[in-house]
Amino acid sequence: MKGVFDLYTARDTFLHRLDPRVKILAVLFLSLLGFIMTNLIPLFTLLCFIILLLYLTRSTFSKAYFALKFVLRLMVLITVLWPLFDQSGTPVLAALGPIKITEPAIWRGLTSAIRIGCLATVWYILMFTTTQRDLVRALVKMGLRYDFGLALAISLRFIPTFGFTIESIKDAQRARGLEFDKGSIIRRSKNYIAVLIPAVVYALRTAETLSLSLQSRAYGARKDRTYMREIRMRSSDLVSLVIVVLLFAIPAVAKFVFGAAI
Amino acid sequence: MTEDHSQGGPPVAQPPLAQAPQANFVSPKTVAIYGVLTALTAAITIITVIPFPPTKGYFNLGEAMVFFSALIFGWRAGAICGGVGSAIADVIIGYGYFAPITLTAKGVEGLVTGTIARLNGGKKWSSVLGIFCGGSCMVSIYFLAEVIILDTGIGYALSEMLTVNIPQVAIGGTLGFVLAHYVRKSIRLPK
Amino acid sequence: MIPKPGADRSKRMIEMDNVGFTYEAGVEALRSVSLKISSGEFLAIVGGNGSGKTTLAKLMNGLLRPSSGSIKISGAPAESQSIAELSKTVGYCFQNPDHQLFCTSVEDEVMFGPKNLGIGLEESRERMERALSLMGIFSLKTMSPFSLSLSERRRVTIASILAMTPQVMILDEPTTGLDADESSELMALIRKLNADGRTIILITHEMKLVAEHADRVIILSDGHILLDSDVRGAFSDLEILKASRLLPPPVTLLASRISSIGISRDLLTSDEFVFELSRRYGSR
Repeated sequence: MKGVFDLYTARDTFLHRLDPRVKILAVLFLSLLGFIMTNLIPLFTLLCFIILLLYLTRSTFSKAYFALKFVLRLMVLITVLWPLFDQSGTPVLAALGPIKITEPAIWRGLTSAIRIGCLATVWYILMFTTTQRDLVRALVKMGLRYDFGLALAISLRFIPTFGFTIESIKDAQRARGLEFDKGSIIRRSKNYIAVLIPAVVYALRTAETLSLSLQSRAYGARKDRTYMREIRMRSSDLVSLVIVVLLFAIPAVAKFVFGAAI
Repeated sequence: MTEDHSQGGPPVAQPPLAQAPQANFVSPKTVAIYGVLTALTAAITIITVIPFPPTKGYFNLGEAMVFFSALIFGWRAGAICGGVGSAIADVIIGYGYFAPITLTAKGVEGLVTGTIARLNGGKKWSSVLGIFCGGSCMVSIYFLAEVIILDTGIGYALSEMLTVNIPQVAIGGTLGFVLAHYVRKSIRLPK
Repeated sequence: MIPKPGADRSKRMIEMDNVGFTYEAGVEALRSVSLKISSGEFLAIVGGNGSGKTTLAKLMNGLLRPSSGSIKISGAPAESQSIAELSKTVGYCFQNPDHQLFCTSVEDEVMFGPKNLGIGLEESRERMERALSLMGIFSLKTMSPFSLSLSERRRVTIASILAMTPQVMILDEPTTGLDADESSELMALIRKLNADGRTIILITHEMKLVAEHADRVIILSDGHILLDSDVRGAFSDLEILKASRLLPPPVTLLASRISSIGISRDLLTSDEFVFELSRRYGSR
């Protein structure tokens, strides 16, 4: 479970050095691009581009595998299930009673699966290369209220801690004869009461200590707080931002102004 | 590097603390509780993965935390902690593309549950009704978003709704209710 | 009635043969650990943080399964038994009571384990009452665990394991956070459990506890057994203690420092020290 909570891998690549705001915008624009594309070939090109960027993040194999295994399962599911529910088009390749499999439906399923692939993987360009601290700082810079940003930073900081606490609680209850992987779903879920209650109590106690420590460090004492480290846009960040915007704008204009099929 | 490491810099003239504009931040308790509930929602979503044998799918108990936050700390906590916590979990476990939808679906779920649960003086039945309405909102938002926005096809969206989301809401709702009931009864809550 | 576990010292409760354990992330926590623990022993497992103490203990009741080697619990191979089955023989009491208490009353909390093992209500109740009396907290029966002090909560967790009538009890740092009085009261109770014939395995890095209570000590360092001997033998070897980042009790250190004046260097308690001095100088 250890590597799961933080996808960031410390490297020194171009993507690591990029301003986190540019990366957030890039994820946004590339996602939008995935939405406006409807044809297989452009979407496939986009997927290849995203995978290339992911390769350039130089993340570890185990993290990449973890990130991609769910996506792959989902893509297969969509491809398989789509033709069963989409009965339109000819030629019909196979028919079983009222259900028929048509060729266009297969292509449409595949297209949709690849779009999901794009939307799912593009996130990891950001997650693999940006520390949680930079992420929150970028969001605050982009207009998130500082106090909400702080709450977000706290929550990111505590996810692994609570993860380990929950594992430890599970172990403690296992040692008292509770079995989590036996019995019906109802029974299994019920067993988790013995985990959720101590976890919630522990979390609320943590919150109490935390609020004291925030107060003792002059949280909210003045509005015009300063930052020791500022994020600043450099020229390479600006160039990257322009490229990302163009990557979205050119196909968008081609589609919506000139009616190109993409 | 994106960071400016210069330690000194030009001295910035700052008014003394007494004259400085006070920040209109939410209270430190709120920040702490929201942060912690969000983290717990995410952690529970990630860890408590229960296999669902009929479809070989999986579902999680993060839902219980969304309902719990809404029932105990009100609609705002339900919306923020439930929405953000579940969305973070999505990003971490590889459903990043779902994160905006999750943020909306679970946010609305927490909001609706928290609002309805406080009606009628917060009686037990308001909680039950709140969980039911909130859960229904969540299930419908997911279904519609999958069909309309993500375009996963009716087949996938339907199978997801029936095999994952509905059982998840039913079980999460029950657990969230029990949890809230228990915590209210036996623990002095930070307010 | 809880059947009293036989105090037959010849019975092997835990037998580990060449056990190794590597965590998923590739961290080798234990390597080639072999040990035998007999019934009725009071054993301490000590070592610095990260030395593998907890890993070793978790292997004993199936919370972790060995990557290599074999473990026998009361003669039977452990790998074929579930944690729930093993917990009937080896009870593991976790360090932090707040990681397991969740019921609305102490009695429910203590009956949780027996019920999980499929024991009927009547017998569960009997076991609960007996376990609570053994831990001296019978009067707290109907209280909510969350309203109790740390020392009381810790006793509740020990009682909740006791109610599953294990012959071996593993106690992970049972005195952390307790004051001197609470700590010695708890240790006295634990000794009583041992005198009744139960095998006690104490995980700790408080050497004073080890010196005062344990018969045998296993020193772990960096995932392997550095020393397995009786307590006196272990504390006379200051080099080994130092290598495993442990400090013997002050009185042992003092005896060792002034051993040149002719007193024994392996004294464990202040009583022994006084006795040795009076033996040597003939006055009080």
